Amino acid sequence: MENNSAPRGLIVDLITPLKNGAIDGTGLERLLARVLPHAQALLLAGPRHGEGERMEMAMRNEFLKKAIDAAAGRPVPLFVWISGNTEAQTRQNILALQEGLGGNRPAGGLFCVDTPLVYHSNRGLPDYYRELQTILTVPLVLHNEPDCVHTPRTFKRRNIRTAVLKELVRIERIAGLIFSGSLERAHHYQRACRGRKDFRIYDGDEKRFLEHPSMGGVVSVGANLAPGAWERITQSSIQLHAHRENYPDRLQQIWESGDYLKNMVTLYGQSPAAMIKIILSDMGAIGTPEMLKPVEIEHDDINALKTLMHDFGDHF
Amino acid sequence: MLIEQAKEVLQIEAQSILGLTEQIGPTFAEAVSVILRARGRVILTGMGKSGLVARKISATLNSTGTKSFFLHPAEAIHGDLGMATPDDVVLAISNSGHTVEINKILPILKQMKVKIISFTGGLDSPMAHHSDLVIDVSVEREACPLGLAPTASTTAALAMGDALAVVLLKSRHFSKKDFRRFHPGGSLGERLSFKVRDIMVTDDHVPKVYPDTGIRPALIEINGKKMGATLVVDRDQKLVGIISDGDLRRALTRGDDIYRKNVEDIMSSTPKTIDEETTSAEAIALMELNAITHLIIVDAHQKVKGMVHLHDLLGREGFKINGE
Repeated sequence: MENNSAPRGLIVDLITPLKNGAIDGTGLERLLARVLPHAQALLLAGPRHGEGERMEMAMRNEFLKKAIDAAAGRPVPLFVWISGNTEAQTRQNILALQEGLGGNRPAGGLFCVDTPLVYHSNRGLPDYYRELQTILTVPLVLHNEPDCVHTPRTFKRRNIRTAVLKELVRIERIAGLIFSGSLERAHHYQRACRGRKDFRIYDGDEKRFLEHPSMGGVVSVGANLAPGAWERITQSSIQLHAHRENYPDRLQQIWESGDYLKNMVTLYGQSPAAMIKIILSDMGAIGTPEMLKPVEIEHDDINALKTLMHDFGDHF
Repeated sequence: MLIEQAKEVLQIEAQSILGLTEQIGPTFAEAVSVILRARGRVILTGMGKSGLVARKISATLNSTGTKSFFLHPAEAIHGDLGMATPDDVVLAISNSGHTVEINKILPILKQMKVKIISFTGGLDSPMAHHSDLVIDVSVEREACPLGLAPTASTTAALAMGDALAVVLLKSRHFSKKDFRRFHPGGSLGERLSFKVRDIMVTDDHVPKVYPDTGIRPALIEINGKKMGATLVVDRDQKLVGIISDGDLRRALTRGDDIYRKNVEDIMSSTPKTIDEETTSAEAIALMELNAITHLIIVDAHQKVKGMVHLHDLLGREGFKINGE
């Protein structure tokens, strides 16, 4: 059994460096060298920006193994998305992940991330997780992301019901929740989780975090591009570290970094992974901008993003 | 849009307070117990916005019967720490618990055997480790973007401070009269709106002698009742005069052998009187007009009901409340 306590802070929703349809180990090393110094954790094969929805579990496992190697012992927790299309497939994914790793665990700890409503309704969800924890040897982080719950579906809801979450929080192996949704729902969820002091709620919505930061932290795909700025804002927002620098223009710098990130989030809009890959590839931070499913990108948007980064002093 | 944004902020702040209701536990009760047992004062400390919250909590504690003062952590390092005694209780406020200035003074206070209570969201912070009791005021979300200013977290600390003050108030059986003693109207204007009947000295607290009383017993009455004068009444308790310090001085100046005289020989026989419905403001105005410091409250038959001194009206030396 591993430590259940999930980290606070910046969790980088890592884009998946690809080369000819496989994980690009060299690109991954370069990317991790770029983001690891700024991150409290990494999310690998995230369903949307990490393209986990399009990856078989074998590929996710390969991604994890290469990430462990590339992290080279640095104690950063790794989150891996393990959901399948069915309960059985998810169970198999978990077993495959645990068996595949053997003793080669990440130095900072491993967390499975599951988006239950992809394959399970709210009904019976607590029982399902109680049973699942009998095979889990690592802690689990729930993922509530309505955009991952595709229609048409036989399930009625696209969010975990608050009453169901209240029961799930009582399950010891469940360490946290990555949340996207309305602020009202966020309040309901927070109320549901108050029974567990060590339960973390992360903002899965970057914009929300930039407006009203959750004290657990944020899962950010933009941090692939601007890890330093995201680190600065996360630390400022949730007072992550003991020492708070108080140089004269600190607030102005924070304000400018915040504006920079808000503009960046707006610019990469609906296709963050594809746009970020193109820019990282142009920067030489990854080998190719390859996606598992190609996405059409407007070059004007890319140029606007590059200009924004250049104006802020971030590489271009 | 603006209204929606404002509503979001208020919702977040409201949630931060509601969250405290589930976080509060036996530690809070222990903190109340520690403060109730303390012979000294509650010393509030905090930096920045938390310092402002600490000042407000200190003011609330003082208004509700718990002696308190604010100690600036930076000033404390430079000598103000001498204000603390082992009888005191320190209540330190920092959301992160990493405030350097506070964490510098807490070990010294601990050495002085001062009990330390902290309000913090950093339950594993240095401040929490220095504290005897840690009250969790962590919030789930801040309303202000980018950490530019603490919002929900300071609201939570402030609300917890109010909870502490009110629980202490109830535990001490603090009454309305106590509140008025410590909080005499909140402003002079409000104080002056009190009726004289609420402030006047009554019954055995009123210094009284009969006209045929000697001067020595009259002086004993003046000294004993500490009003700076004594009333002179007949056997039916009807007012017939007053002897004040001024009357005694005038008699001595004339060369009278006052110890051979009775009070009726030197008293002023036309003391100023008012009824008990007179306001404090009117009473003060009457005193100013006549250059006197006492007024006597009588009923329709000139029977003495009470007496009031200028000090009672202005609240100097403590605000006396009728019946205490």
